[in-house]
Amino acid sequence: MALVFLCLGVSVMAFVLTHIVPNDPAVANLGDRASSDPVAVRLYREHFGLDKPLPVQYVVYLGNLLHGDLGESEQSRRAVRTDLAEYIPATAELAITSMVLACLLGITLGVIAALRRNRLTDQVLRVVSLGGMSTPQFWLALVALYVFFYQLSWVPGSGRLDAAVLPPPHLTGLFTIDSLAAGQFDVFVNSVQHLILPACVLAAFNMGLFTRFTRSAVLEVLENDYVRTARAKGLPELTVVFRHVLRAASPPILTVVGLAFGNVMTGTVLVENIFSWPGIGQYSYRSATALDLPAIVGVMLFVAIVYILVNMVVDILYGVVDPRIRLA
Amino acid sequence: MSAAVINSNNRLSTAWRRIPGAWRQPLTVVGLVLAASWLVVALLAPWISPQDPLAQGPALYQAPSAAHLLGTDELGRDVFSRVLWGARISIPLAMLLVSLAFTIGGTLGGLAGYLGGWVDEVVMRGADFVFAVPTILLAMAVVAALGPGLFHAVLAVVLVSWPGIARVVRGLVRTTMESEYVAVGRLLGSPTHRALTVDVLPNVAGPVIVLAALEIGNAILLLSALSFLGLGARPPDAEWGSMVSTGAQHFEAWWIGVFPGVAIVSIVLAFNFLGDSLRDAFDPKAIIKARGA
Repeated sequence: MALVFLCLGVSVMAFVLTHIVPNDPAVANLGDRASSDPVAVRLYREHFGLDKPLPVQYVVYLGNLLHGDLGESEQSRRAVRTDLAEYIPATAELAITSMVLACLLGITLGVIAALRRNRLTDQVLRVVSLGGMSTPQFWLALVALYVFFYQLSWVPGSGRLDAAVLPPPHLTGLFTIDSLAAGQFDVFVNSVQHLILPACVLAAFNMGLFTRFTRSAVLEVLENDYVRTARAKGLPELTVVFRHVLRAASPPILTVVGLAFGNVMTGTVLVENIFSWPGIGQYSYRSATALDLPAIVGVMLFVAIVYILVNMVVDILYGVVDPRIRLA
Repeated sequence: MSAAVINSNNRLSTAWRRIPGAWRQPLTVVGLVLAASWLVVALLAPWISPQDPLAQGPALYQAPSAAHLLGTDELGRDVFSRVLWGARISIPLAMLLVSLAFTIGGTLGGLAGYLGGWVDEVVMRGADFVFAVPTILLAMAVVAALGPGLFHAVLAVVLVSWPGIARVVRGLVRTTMESEYVAVGRLLGSPTHRALTVDVLPNVAGPVIVLAALEIGNAILLLSALSFLGLGARPPDAEWGSMVSTGAQHFEAWWIGVFPGVAIVSIVLAFNFLGDSLRDAFDPKAIIKARGA
């Protein structure tokens, strides 16, 4: 229910924002010659329904949306759904890899910082994590490309695969998984080589964020009596950290991980553009600059739905880690 | 003589100890010094930069040297001067948009928290919609719709950043309103405006200052990202984001893009250091809880 409500809200917002515009999509997409021809402009408007009043446009859009039709992209002249289906797997592969990296690193470093509170390690980790959160992703991407590709040639340049390598047979659209499923080990290696640098760049911001939040969440738990009891019982420190501390500290960490999904999407717009990664980040940039309204609204709606779903999963996970919430 | 030294040392160290704990953290000092120096640079750029940031010279693609501390770009402009002048664009704009965002977010959040009911419902659902769409997507859509330009980019960033502030302010106002001393004040018959100014405001101010420091950093990041994408400042403006974008087209002359980026990192880092230490100084739980609520 909340999902439906939020989708409606986001679609209205996206619709209003993108349709009450001084810039004319017809001019943006037709080019100079055609847009000076009133007939061409009128035909264009009629084709995309732009000649009708705004509320009518919205109702038509909603009606189509109900059976999964997001409209036609004014730029690619294909259904927005087809475009999204093509670009989503690339972004999913990149975003998931970077989130896994950010979680592993961020939570580990956060725990270490909390256990070493106010010592040198904590201070160094504070600089590292705040540094990750303060570095513009577009700049980090360029510096990483310059160092690891241009100077050291450790990684291949842009794109998801070398030009000479054919994509694996389509299964999930994630090249790493598809290539393994097809037994093409060389394709797998190549796709990982292409994936690693953009994923690391994308992970930097969230890694910093997770480190800070894990640190404060863990610090709060460490003050509890049961932690002292566990230590007094002579339990190994690792057991105390994993069984007692981390579990109790996980709800706020989970919240941040859920919310950080938005950061990843923001990052993909920049990182995909720099690494020529054919995902929805690049697609949304192209659509926004070309004022491709159906595509922009489609991307926003899709991303909002994923965001809501991710945060619903987070809510469910609260119950898994915290029995009190499960009972309530 | 030695007595005098010890004496002055003592005086210094007592003064040092009188400064609240958060300000004695080394990183806070670093943040403060960095932020202050950038402010000075922004103010004095016309007098301290060695050259006109837009003046093209005969020496193209010069590596950093004594004549050009940070080298020259593809049009022979002095990168060092351009980086200094960049502070005059990014810092005032970030401050402007953060104050706009705080005025809007603070007012709406305060009203939502104070009045509750349908006002609360409307404001918070509005914030939810903005939250559900990643900042840059929304900002890109707005700028694309209005047309590229720095002012439109600022509007877009204000639009995406007010909800975070509204949420925090609302949470703080509600917590304070529910507290016993506000209830007692009401029982004693003190008027509403007194409850707001005496009880609520001081409780909200601290965390909001922390949030403002962190928001300035984020605003600079987002604004420069929009300029990098060609949606904010445009060449030949000496704006850091668009300078990095120019640098991306001239890989062999790394200094064109690297140094403006270092400028962004250093100023955002400064505000993040400040915000982070201040957060520890105020009740550390207040902001985190209000944000998660």
